[in-house]
Parts: sequence; C-alpha cells; structure tokens
Amino acid sequence: MTREKLSGAEIVVEELKTEGVEVAFGIPGGALLDLYDVLYKDEAIRHILMRHEQCAAHAADGYARVSGKVGVCIATSGPGATNLVTGLTNANMDSSPVVALTGQVPTSVIGTNAFQEASTFTFTMPITKHNFLVKRTSDLPKIIHNAFYIANTGRKGVVLVDLPTDILAGVAEVDLHPKETFVGYKPNIKPNQVQIKRVVEILANAERPLILAGGGVISADAAVELRHLADFLCAPVVTTLMGKGAIPENHPFCLGMAGMHGQLYANRAINECDALLALGTRFSDRTTGWQLDQFAPDATLIHVDIDTAEINKNMQVDIPIVGDVKLALSGILKLLEKKREKKSGSEWEKRIKKMHEACDSCVEDISREGASVSDILIKEISNLLDDDAIVTTEVGQCQMFAAYYYMTKKPRTFISSGGLGTMGFGFPAAIGAKVAAPDKKVVDIAGDGSFLMTCQDMATCVENDIPVVVCIFDNRYLGMIRQFQELFFDKKYSQSDLGITPDFVKLAESFGCYAERVEKPEELKDALNNAFESGKPAVLDMIVGKEDKVLPMIPPGGSITRMIGTERCKHI
Amino acid sequence: MQTHIISLLVEDNPGVLTRMSGMFTMRGINITSLTVSPCEKEGLSRMTVAIEGSESELEMVRKQVSNLIEVVKVVDLKDEEAIIRDLCLLKVHAKDPEARSEVMQLAESYGAKILDAALDSVTLELTEEPKKIDRFVDLMRHFGVKQLFSTGVTAIGIGAGVER
Ligand SMILES: Cc1ncc(C[n+]2csc(CCOP(=O)(O)OP(=O)(O)O)c2C)c(N)n1
Ligand SMILES: [Mg+2]
Repeated sequence: MTREKLSGAEIVVEELKTEGVEVAFGIPGGALLDLYDVLYKDEAIRHILMRHEQCAAHAADGYARVSGKVGVCIATSGPGATNLVTGLTNANMDSSPVVALTGQVPTSVIGTNAFQEASTFTFTMPITKHNFLVKRTSDLPKIIHNAFYIANTGRKGVVLVDLPTDILAGVAEVDLHPKETFVGYKPNIKPNQVQIKRVVEILANAERPLILAGGGVISADAAVELRHLADFLCAPVVTTLMGKGAIPENHPFCLGMAGMHGQLYANRAINECDALLALGTRFSDRTTGWQLDQFAPDATLIHVDIDTAEINKNMQVDIPIVGDVKLALSGILKLLEKKREKKSGSEWEKRIKKMHEACDSCVEDISREGASVSDILIKEISNLLDDDAIVTTEVGQCQMFAAYYYMTKKPRTFISSGGLGTMGFGFPAAIGAKVAAPDKKVVDIAGDGSFLMTCQDMATCVENDIPVVVCIFDNRYLGMIRQFQELFFDKKYSQSDLGITPDFVKLAESFGCYAERVEKPEELKDALNNAFESGKPAVLDMIVGKEDKVLPMIPPGGSITRMIGTERCKHI
Repeated sequence: MQTHIISLLVEDNPGVLTRMSGMFTMRGINITSLTVSPCEKEGLSRMTVAIEGSESELEMVRKQVSNLIEVVKVVDLKDEEAIIRDLCLLKVHAKDPEARSEVMQLAESYGAKILDAALDSVTLELTEEPKKIDRFVDLMRHFGVKQLFSTGVTAIGIGAGVER
C-alpha cells in the first residue's frame, strides 16, 4: 500500500491498472469529464470509443468471456447508464465478469431530477451481482478493488460503480491497492468431501453415466478435468448452449448440445442414462424441456454448482455439491481412480459410439435430403474456420443454427447470449472478443433483424481497426418468430416480416467495411476468404431461404423425449 | 401458505434494505412485516422479516438472500425455537363507562398497558407474540378500534444465544 494524494478520477484509473485492466469500452459524457481527462493523459488503459453504451457492455462481456478476465465498460450518467442496462443484464445472466463504471450527478443534487440524473444505483440492483454508489473520494480504492473481486469470484457477474462528479473531481489522501474486506461475502469454492465420496460411489457403479456440461465448466477453466473424467468413466458428454466448447464437439464421447434446439441423441442420452452429473448449469427450461419428470427419469441426479441458490431451484437433485467445478472434478477423479480401474467396452459405450455416429451423420452430411441453405451455410462456416476461431452469435434462428451445426473445439470460442437471449449481442461481443484475442479470427453469426439493433458499431470497428467478420443469415424475417408462427400459429406471420431494407452491402461499405453478398452457398468460401484477406471489418450478406427452419426442436411446453422435425436425423 | 420469520444480519449500508426487499419482490413473495434495528455488532444491523410462502419458496429465497454481498448471516426462526414479539399500540372506542371498564379488564388479563384514557377512548400497548396480539385485537374490535399501529415482529433464538 502506498499513501498518495490524488483526485477521485486518478484513484479510479490507478486502481484499474492495479487490477490489470488493459482496455475499457465506453462513451464519455458531462459527468465523466474528469475521468476521461485522466484516461487521456494516462495511456496505460486503451479506451475503445463505442457508438452505443449497450454495445460497450456487450463488448466488455465478450472480452470477459474470451479472455477470462474482467471486462470493463464506462458510461455517463442518465441516458448513458440506462443504455447500459440491456448489456449488463445480459452479462449478469450469463455469469460473465464485468465491471461497469457510470457517471452520476454531484452528490449534492442526487434525487432532485438534476440534468441527466437517473437513479442508476436503484435500477441496476436487480440486474447486477452487486453495485456501489460512491459517497466519499477516499472510499474509492476499496470500492474499485472490491468491485473486481466480487465480479470475478464465486459465481461471476456484473458489478457497477456509480461515480458522482464531485467524487471524481474531489481530492483525497488515500492508501492505494487495499486488500479486499468483506464481512458477509465468502465465495464458497471448496466442495464438501463427503458429498464427493457419495458422488464417486454413484458414478463408480453406474452402468450408464452421462455428463451435462454447462457454462460453469468453461468459467471455472475445467475443460481438461472434464475430459479426463469422461474418458475415465467412458461417459458421454452433452452440453448446454453456454457449455459449448467445454469439450471438443468431435470428441467420440461428445453428443453435442441438449435441449430445445439440441441434438436428438443428446436428448436421447439424457433419457437413457442412470446417473447424470450436471456441472455448472442451472437446468434452464431450454435445456430440460418443460416436463421435468421426463428429464432423465431413471437417473440419480448429481448437481455441481458454485451457487447454492441454483441447487434444487429448477430441478430437484439427489446429490448436490456446492463449489468450484474444477475442484469438484479433480476431487471426484482422484477418488474414482483409487476406487476402480478405467473400464471400457461397456454396452453403454457401444451405444454412445453409435449415437455419436448418427449425430455426426445428420450434422456432417449436409448433402442429405432436406438440408436448407441455412443448414449448408453454417456447416460450411464450421468447416472453413480453424479450431481457434471465435464465433459469437446474435439471437434467433441464426443462433440455433450455430448451436446445432457449429463444431466448437475449444473453451471460450463459442460466445452466445444464453440467459437473456439478446438480439444485437453478437456483433459488439465480437468486438470485445477480437480485442481480447487479436490474433484469432472472430466471426459473428448474425440474423438480419439482430444485426440492425447494434450495427452502428461498425464505425467502432473501422475507427479502431477491429476486423471482425459478420455473416448475416439474411432471410428478411425475424426468422425464429416466423418459424414459431409457421409451426404453432397457423402461418399467421404477425409482424415478423422485415420487408426489403436495408442493402447490407451498401450499408457496410458506407462505414468503410469490406462487404460482399453471398447469393449461393458455393460462393461462401471465397467470400469468407476475401473478408479475412481484406484485413478490414467485414460483412457478408448471405441470402438464405426465407422459410428455412431450425429443426429438430422440442415444441414449447413439450418434453425432452419428444422432438419434432427429426426427419433429417439418422435413426438408430 | 405459511408465515416464516427470517432473521438477517446485514451490513449497515445505504441501499441494503432496498436490495433485500427487492429479492423478495422479484420472487413474488409478500413481506408481511419487516423490522430493522442496530444490533450488538458495530456496522451491522439486524432485520427480521416475516414472509408468507411455501417451504420451498422460503428455502429458495433464503439462499438467494444469503448470496447478497452485504448479508452476513441468515437464520430461519422456527416458532418453537424462537421468542417472537410484536409491539402494538391501539386506540379503542369506549364511550360508556361499562365498556371502558370491560376494555380495561381485558387489557389487564392480556398484560396490555393502559397508556392513556380519555372520555371516549382508551389507548393501549401490548407486546406479545403475534398470535396473541391478533386475538387481543379481535376482542377489541367488539368495542371498536379507532387506530392500530404495530412495529412488526422481531425475534430471537431460544437458548445460549448462538444462532445456528
Ligand atoms: C432485443 C430482443 N428483442 C426481441 C427478441 C425476440 N426475438 C427472438 S428471436 C427474434 C428474431 C430474430 O431475428 P433475426 O435476427 O433476423 O434472426 P433469425 O431468427 O431470422 O435468424 C426475436 C424478435 C429478442 N430475443 N431480443
Ligand atoms: Mg432474420
């Protein structure tokens, strides 16, 4: 600790540097002039000027998911803060560590409807893990440090720090770099050994074990442990949307994503297993279907999660383990290896191999009858990108095509809005991803509707030289809505037709992006190459079938045992 | 539906009450009474929250409240393991002398204090467990209750004083 006399704004920047912050995404405003003045003079932190605060939050979120570090976004008081809300909610729902700094009117006028005042502290309470309204400049070192500590420990999430102008302008003599101090916050990370023993007992004797991997596996960096356990148990792995990348999807034991828009055989495996080890997942209805008694009916349910409040929330389980997934997995492996040899050649293993092949053949063999242009394009993208490439998605059919067909090979390379399902997330998240991993290819799998919600940040990409590639599935529909209307509302396409505007190629070119139209799937390969070769941010306007559908699926309200539209799946 | 009493030890920060009650609101749980007061530890406050809900709702909300950064401890107080008190002030109509003496007699038998007596009303104070207060208030309604104030429940565990 060093004692220094500094302005509030200087303290904030000093503490950000201490937390290892290299980049922040934001937009200045009247309430933040002091902070931006320090950012201008001190070049240690790269500030990326976004074109909308929602995008600043999504970019910080994308950055956090790719780098594993805390993402930082900055917005001014009032409209800046209200614009952040969607982005922060999105990050918090997906347990992504983000710290948001917002400007606020001076403490003397808080509560008076002053110019650009909004009660940020109040309305961000339910959408953050925690938030602070700073009342004294001298509190800043502790608050900034605690904010990062809270965001990045336990179940990760969003922490917002609201900074009144007089606090930023004020001067205080402070001790920088304090240690965190909490009375009540003890992020519980050590799993209980007795529970681990019980789990090992179940897994060692299970005939048909199955692992369901959620986003917690990725955020705990537990992919290696997961693979070891799957190999040792000869247990298949299915994932949630957030869990994509926890295991390479071409691994012989991986059956892909389960749930509403999941793989037929991932869902089958859930029906058939006799022990289900769920890791870092909240059993969202998108994963379980809506008839919970039909979810893994024969299985002993084991649930490992860092958040006590997730245990028995959506699903009653037999054995809960509260704690860090990585620690729990290594604990389980250690005992299991003592207890018995690795067994292979079981009936279950043979069955899984067959399921994996069947799965593969519906996903891989795109020439099979009934494949749509969307199916073919997304598969082609999956084939063309290397294992390290990062894919982000918008929301809608485009997202579910990506979830179904895109073969994710590594953790932190599939970035999607799971909990909130936010249209407009993918593009700014791609910006954050590219900033976190400049050497990797970053592609946003976009819908035309979604892209229009945040496309103004093409300016950010061009101005800051952030060459991400947006692949628009251009169906001129709010496609997912149209699909539901086709299947469940008698083809009454109420307000899902987007008409004919805009011309995405011209739009992108006007921003200075590289752009190309892909009229036929055969043209994709060259177009994608051109996009990467251009070295510029790029937009590919891919014309897809207007009535393409994401299938198979569990109809809303349905059971995981009954998917519709399985015609294209190979049946075994 | 059942009434549950949760006792919380929380950091005494501005906003902690909003954060807490927001948690209940989000889950659609009705708070029937809530008291906040300083406690034996500096910088901490004790909240006693009475809520209505099923056992499983209670379990859920208890865990979610424990997750709040400023919540130090959550104790679920069961009827038989806790002393639960509410303080109630009420002004009862008692115009004719007969009614007045009856009110005073009943008050005495319930252990209520007579704080003030006017020609047409009697003001009473009763500190008791909520059920008894309900019974007393029901009785007083026969005479006519002009005003009723109650502080809300506060509760303490029985025994050595170590909260589970
Ligand atoms: C911000 C927001 N508004 C509305 C929705 C509801 N919604 C879900 S999918 C969808 C359609 C998405 O259309 P598009 O981006 O074109 O993707 P497509 O389904 O056509 O691939 C809508 C409107 C949402 N998820 N997010
Ligand atoms: Mg569309």
